[in-house]
Amino acid sequence: MKILVPLKRVADPDNANKVKVTAGKLDTTGMQWKPNPFDEYAVETALRLTENGASTKVRLGEVIVLTVGPKEAETQLRGALATGADRAIRIDATDDDLDGDVVARAIRAVVEKEKPDLILVGKQAVDGDSNQVGQLLAEYLGWPQATFAGTIKSEGDTALLVGREVDGGTLTLRVTLPAVVSVDLRIVAPTSVSSKHSPTHTYADGVRFAALMAIMAAKKKPMVEFKLSELVSDAAAKIAYTTHELPPPRKAGIKVKDVAELVDKLRNEARVV
Amino acid sequence: MLELPDDHRAILDTVRRFCRERLEPRVRAFENGDEPLEPFFRELSESLGLREVADALVDGTASPFEGVSPLVLTGFVMHELSRCCPGVALSFGATTGLFGGAVMACGTPDQKRTWGRRALSLDAVGAWALTEPGAGSDAFGAMRTRARGVDGGFVLRGTKTFITNAPTCDVALVQARVEGASDGKIAGFIIPTEARGFTRGRPFDKLGMQASPTGEIFLEDVFVPNEMVLGGLGADGLPHDARFAIRASLGAERMGMIPMLLAMVERCLEEATTYAKGRVQFGAPIASFQLVQEKLARIHTTKMLLEVLFLRQIEAIACGRLGAISRAEASAQKLFAAKAAVDAAMDAIQILGGAGYMRGSVVEMMARDAKLFQIGGGTDDMQILTIARELLRQQ
Ligand SMILES: Cc1cc2nc3c(=O)[nH]c(=O)nc-3n(C[C@H](O)[C@H](O)[C@H](O)COP(=O)(O)OP(=O)(O)OC[C@H]3O[C@@H](n4cnc5c(N)ncnc54)[C@H](O)[C@@H]3O)c2cc1C
Repeated sequence: MKILVPLKRVADPDNANKVKVTAGKLDTTGMQWKPNPFDEYAVETALRLTENGASTKVRLGEVIVLTVGPKEAETQLRGALATGADRAIRIDATDDDLDGDVVARAIRAVVEKEKPDLILVGKQAVDGDSNQVGQLLAEYLGWPQATFAGTIKSEGDTALLVGREVDGGTLTLRVTLPAVVSVDLRIVAPTSVSSKHSPTHTYADGVRFAALMAIMAAKKKPMVEFKLSELVSDAAAKIAYTTHELPPPRKAGIKVKDVAELVDKLRNEARVV
Repeated sequence: MLELPDDHRAILDTVRRFCRERLEPRVRAFENGDEPLEPFFRELSESLGLREVADALVDGTASPFEGVSPLVLTGFVMHELSRCCPGVALSFGATTGLFGGAVMACGTPDQKRTWGRRALSLDAVGAWALTEPGAGSDAFGAMRTRARGVDGGFVLRGTKTFITNAPTCDVALVQARVEGASDGKIAGFIIPTEARGFTRGRPFDKLGMQASPTGEIFLEDVFVPNEMVLGGLGADGLPHDARFAIRASLGAERMGMIPMLLAMVERCLEEATTYAKGRVQFGAPIASFQLVQEKLARIHTTKMLLEVLFLRQIEAIACGRLGAISRAEASAQKLFAAKAAVDAAMDAIQILGGAGYMRGSVVEMMARDAKLFQIGGGTDDMQILTIARELLRQQ
């Protein structure tokens, strides 16, 4: 199985430097970046689907990671290559010029070249929380999709059984390949993914660590670059940002005399009870 | 934090994530002796692929790191382990650095393949035993453990003490004086702990480094076959003199302490800064008081100086000039860094006040652990003597 995983870098929430706004624009200078966690879950899922859990050295499929972003985003792609992905594609673009729609159309162009059997995406990126790219992409491609996967079971190379987390419990969908599947947190639980190669393997919980030697070896794995304009004729974003502003600083707390005053404040000022 | 090239950074970040997820939650349990370290070390080895690293080093299949030397890599692991729990790093270092390093530097090919591999991949816990009840700073001169040559090997008799990992190790490298060698020759002997006559005491209770078991080793006529003499026998049928190798091990140990101490100071600075910004007294965060700022500024300065020392090591390794760092410099680095870290940790406790003095606070653990570095690997006094000796010889 050939799996394509789009991967976005997001500002590390542990950043020592907080996001600044300069003249109505986000200022990201000096920021630390990390892969979007949901995309890391997608990479982990792809690796589990293309290996025999018991002997992970043997690759039983191909995992391609892709990002739309600047040169520095190669760091996050190398990170995915270090954990086991086979090769990487970067579509060169600056973050400011992108929205979910351009990204989906850029990925579609790569899909047409690469013809993967499956596209695994994180359910959303933790910066904008837009939750769009997977759905737009499926629509553009005319492929079946399943969102918020908590479990995936592969039925040979032709279909997947996807357990989606919904309010009432789990809804299981059978999607025929090729398809787009977006993954949720629970997909990285020890037995959430079962591939035909190792249907019953129990994985370590969470996203795997890169073996230290693999980090060095990742420098040698193939990474190709495309220009955004090579892939999409109309690269204009549909969403335009007029301005950015930081949330107002939190006001200082107050002390209340007694429970009665607390209840009064909660009811009449905060209006939460 | 250190400015590092991308590949170094990626390795450091991976080890950091591992420590945050797998070590941090267990630090109290390790410190209290409620949980053994071995399962953690196995997890470390499996998650980060240390077996492949060990294989590449032992089999000499290319340089495994192209750009990031195994020495720097070990420094990173020591750094990250020490950020969470220096005791865990100390035990890791005794297995991979002291024991594993000595076998890799001086062992026969067979010894490297078996014991080097097992130590570097954390398959076995190693110990490195030089100190004795009567031989601390005067480790060579006062050594009483004796190795008597017999048919096919040696018989060892003596006691070692204050040995890291002695209570838990699978194998120990024991230094002993070779009987009958006129020049007071000392040799290293690799002894699996199931050897007959090899026993050990219970772990000592101690001020710091509580996650790291320290103890005694008793050797009552332990037979060690010739093939387990470190480096095998020379053309004269006798073991090689290990004194040079022991000094090299101590030098490497002292250098290896720098990333540990750097991490400890970094952690103290983080804890103290966060606390000083949040703690309000006299209507203002204590960070706004200049007497508190003075301490923060000093800890920060110490951190920068230790970074410089670590970067100097990384640079020397990168240019293949590690050998150019003299014994006196290794001593000087350790002498300076150990005292500076103790002072920094004490300042951090001062900033946290009562909260810093309580068992379980990070700075409290760091202060107790930092003190070890003024004693282990040779006391401060011995470092000073080494530095002065080399200095005066040159001038
Ligand atoms: C937690 C821990 C782990 C250890 N792990 C190991 C290990 O894995 N392997 C190992 O072999 N050893 C280990 N050691 C032992 C350590 O190396 C010794 O404790 C150290 O070398 C000092 O020896 P000593 O304790 O006998 O002190 P002593 O040598 O008795 O020194 C006592 C005091 O006298 C001073 N002194 C001694 N001689 C002189 C002099 N000539 N001039 C001025 N001052 C002097 C010393 O500086 C010190 O202040 C460990 C120790 C500790 C505490």
